[in-house]
Amino acid sequence: MTGTIGRRVASVAAVTVVGLTLAACGSSGPSATNSKAASGAGSVWVLTDASLNPVQQTSIDAFNKGATAKFTLSNYGNDPYKQKLQTAIGSPNQPDIFYNWGGGNLAQYVDAGQVADLTATLNANPGFRAKFIPSVLDVGKIHGKVYGLPMQGVQPVMMFANADVLKKAGIDTMAITWDGLLADVGKLKAAGVTPIALAGSQSWTELMWMEYLVDRIGGPEKFQAIVAGKAGAWSDPAVVGALTKVQDLVSAGAFGSNYSAVGYDNQGTQALIAGDKAGYELMGSWEVSSLNGSFPAFAKSAALEWGKFPTVAGGTGDPASLVGNPSNYYSVTQKSPNKAAAMKYLVDTLTSDTYAQGLMGIGQVPAITGLEKKVKTGTFAGFNAFTYALVGTAPSFTQSWDQALTAATSEKLLTNLQKIFLKEMTPRQFVAAMGS
Amino acid sequence: MGPRPHAGGRPSSLWAVPAISFFALFALFPMAVVVYLSFTKWSGIGAPVWSGTANWAKLTTDPQLSQSVRLSVLLTVVSWLLQTAICLPLGVYLAGHGRARALLAAVFFVPLLMSSAAIAILWAGLLDPNFGLASVLGPLVGVKDGNFIGDPQLAFWVIVTVVAWQFVPFHVLLYQGATRQIPVQLYEAARIDGAGRLRQFTSITLPQLRHTIITSSVLMLVGSLTYFDIVLILTGGGPGTATRILPLHMYLEGFRAFDMGYASVLAVLLLVVGTALSLVVTRVTGFNRMESQKEGL
Amino acid sequence: MSTTITRPPASGHGPGSARRGRPGRLARGRFNLVGGLSATVWFVIVSVPLYFLVTTSLRTSSQYLLAGPLSIPKNLSFANYRLVADSNFGVYFWNTLLVTVGCVAIVLVLALPAAYAMVRSQSKFVRRSFSLVLAGLAIPAQATIIPVYLMITKLHLYDTLIAIILPTAAFAIPLAVLVLTSSLRDVPNELYEAMSIDGASPFRTFLTLAVPLSRGGITTVGIFTAMGAWNGFLFPLVLTQSSSRRVLTLGLWTFQSQFGVNVPAICAAVTLSLLPLLILYLVGRRQLLAGLTAGFGR
Repeated sequence: MTGTIGRRVASVAAVTVVGLTLAACGSSGPSATNSKAASGAGSVWVLTDASLNPVQQTSIDAFNKGATAKFTLSNYGNDPYKQKLQTAIGSPNQPDIFYNWGGGNLAQYVDAGQVADLTATLNANPGFRAKFIPSVLDVGKIHGKVYGLPMQGVQPVMMFANADVLKKAGIDTMAITWDGLLADVGKLKAAGVTPIALAGSQSWTELMWMEYLVDRIGGPEKFQAIVAGKAGAWSDPAVVGALTKVQDLVSAGAFGSNYSAVGYDNQGTQALIAGDKAGYELMGSWEVSSLNGSFPAFAKSAALEWGKFPTVAGGTGDPASLVGNPSNYYSVTQKSPNKAAAMKYLVDTLTSDTYAQGLMGIGQVPAITGLEKKVKTGTFAGFNAFTYALVGTAPSFTQSWDQALTAATSEKLLTNLQKIFLKEMTPRQFVAAMGS
Repeated sequence: MGPRPHAGGRPSSLWAVPAISFFALFALFPMAVVVYLSFTKWSGIGAPVWSGTANWAKLTTDPQLSQSVRLSVLLTVVSWLLQTAICLPLGVYLAGHGRARALLAAVFFVPLLMSSAAIAILWAGLLDPNFGLASVLGPLVGVKDGNFIGDPQLAFWVIVTVVAWQFVPFHVLLYQGATRQIPVQLYEAARIDGAGRLRQFTSITLPQLRHTIITSSVLMLVGSLTYFDIVLILTGGGPGTATRILPLHMYLEGFRAFDMGYASVLAVLLLVVGTALSLVVTRVTGFNRMESQKEGL
Repeated sequence: MSTTITRPPASGHGPGSARRGRPGRLARGRFNLVGGLSATVWFVIVSVPLYFLVTTSLRTSSQYLLAGPLSIPKNLSFANYRLVADSNFGVYFWNTLLVTVGCVAIVLVLALPAAYAMVRSQSKFVRRSFSLVLAGLAIPAQATIIPVYLMITKLHLYDTLIAIILPTAAFAIPLAVLVLTSSLRDVPNELYEAMSIDGASPFRTFLTLAVPLSRGGITTVGIFTAMGAWNGFLFPLVLTQSSSRRVLTLGLWTFQSQFGVNVPAICAAVTLSLLPLLILYLVGRRQLLAGLTAGFGR
């Protein structure tokens, strides 16, 4: 008897649980009362960045002073951020403004109808619009409409070198051609140092090599074909040629032997170059302020040099073209209850003198026109001026591939590229693995 | 429900209902949803779109799957063998008394207090080929450039080592505690019969530890199948795909490539295999028959 | 053989400690060279990384790069600890504490009666539930993140500590039930018979017989659940948002991104996150160890 009663109670309980759950699923949704909206509070989600976050906070505080809808800033580390955003967007917990990388990263949200179109706002503020560097603003456009506005400094990728190490190996100036680089590799190896520092455990650092080589050999159109998903885009000779050159470098011992265990996030490569153990490093322009944080003596010394990526003999790409992060972008969520206030914040802040000054104060080069004289300030005046000029005169500025492509493709790209650098895969196999 | 005059006041099944319902709501129901998701195409935003068996068909075309399965099986088997081989003797040894053993046991326990994140971050620092312990120890063991974690051949064994470092303390404690409960009378009787230490170990200790071996083994086997925190933080599945075990493959497909549908397929696969393993081991060894090992003493 | 029933040691005072009075009697205790050697080897394997952890946390960043990893630090510096403490560590600690206490409470209140039922009840439903719970040990929590997130949001619990506590406790239930059934199983049938002959209801039997006799198992479950909740990572990651709700493991991850270039600071953060459990361990070591193992019976 106990058994039967028990069983009946149990089944009733089970049904109740399931029923309640289904009921809960049905009742609430994005239209449910959003307590945030009621109190007029908005949120801005950004990446954790010790030097940038205070600048962002200051601009938000300034905006909040005169506003009814007040914003708060929330910051997250890199990987958790992407995951969080993915699960939150479209739900009541989504932010009003969110930081993103433009390109394919932003496109997936746009295609899901979750991002507000800012084109109209831009057109209504022509002065505001004109202040952005065009090639950088373009990366915030999806299907021709503006969905993201540049909010950070330009970050092209360039070659860095330790002049002292180079001199000791008998090299006077940084290489400007590919053959010159290969020759330097030989000399540096003979001098007993790692010719090029590479954080092989984090494949986005390896991606920079592939990006530049494809651009130098075949021009930016080759990558644009890949983004557009054109048939045969991956098997283009420029891609195969770039990968072959990469493997030539590896075979020549350019990266040393333990590069696949070296990390970037734990200052592995910085320690090598600042510690006179490596000659070259290919990295984004943030490397200078980062070096300044961990190896200030080296960063401020004359030993730190920078220059463009070498040209490749017989290549059709323009030597002045760039790859890297044109900027990072702020976008507004479509279902945000504070859309108007969010857009006003963006228009008021992003090209204002205070904000630009704040960025320059932390060593960044804003994506705003007309700053030639202003950027030439601070500890790294020379570097800032160089970077600014580089971006201003670049015929094209290709976004980092892992931001421009869909998540699934870039995940595959990074994994397979690591295998190329480990010589576990031939260029032909890579092309086959990427699917065309 | 008043006192029942028969069969010793046994509790009704109602006693188990709260726990089962709670567990069902937060663990089983979501699992059912994941099964549903395995038949949909979903990137995490918007609504899942029914796609039939497309994701399941992907199982046959996924070039990474066979390596991930192989790595997981290898990790599970090697970890079980290695950890049991270490933990059993160590646990038995530590069950003895003495200051030295107490001190050793005290230190052994510390890794258990650390979170996976803490352990992975610590070992990442240790394995830095240029500045960590690896740069000093590497040349001593034939790895000239300290490149443990970047070598596709060695990275897997690094993972085996770190996971063992994390979990050996736990199983040592299991065996230690269980050994302490073996009644001394058994050993005395054996010694009187003239049995040496090794014989005592094989004829008394091992059989008496049967339950513990099973518990420990089930936890090890099932745990190795689904655990990937350390791998994620330490190698991220690399170099290349040398440490991309199955649960990590599932996580990366779901949260990096945002293919939740296919990730759900892998999740279901893991669940089925893990459950089967758990049930088989406990059924074959009679663990679920609720017997007390102390009966008959 | 006599009918002595060996009670599961509730606090480490069992056959083990009885033996303490007769040190010379155990042949396997005396000159166990193999055992001693392997124990020493493992001791080295465990302590070297810990030594690295503590010494690195006491170095400054530039010293770390110049000195060798195993060298004895020359100038001890607590700057890293100050840095970590200034970065919201107290909030993370408090949150983690609340989550841990909540989880342990829920798990014990739910799993104990369930384990009692599974050991004593003869109903088929309960038997099946036990298999179900065992199966639950194999459920990869990672796979349930999205559905759990959706549920938590619908229940309007997002970004609260309760959101972490509920699924963490739910996933701790299988192991709790496993341990408690193992421990309750060793309570001899005769005792239950005795209580029922006295006319005791299941509830009274539970309170006065089962619970006290399974104290070892309860301690074990409490400790395991606490450790699992303290070191949980995935659920807090997805189910909370503001830094005021962050727990220690997430804090470590934040430190990694914030101070990724500063290994000594990371080591300080790791050490600090480990400290509370370590202190607990040093203070209550005997109880902890006994509790951890007693519940598993044999």
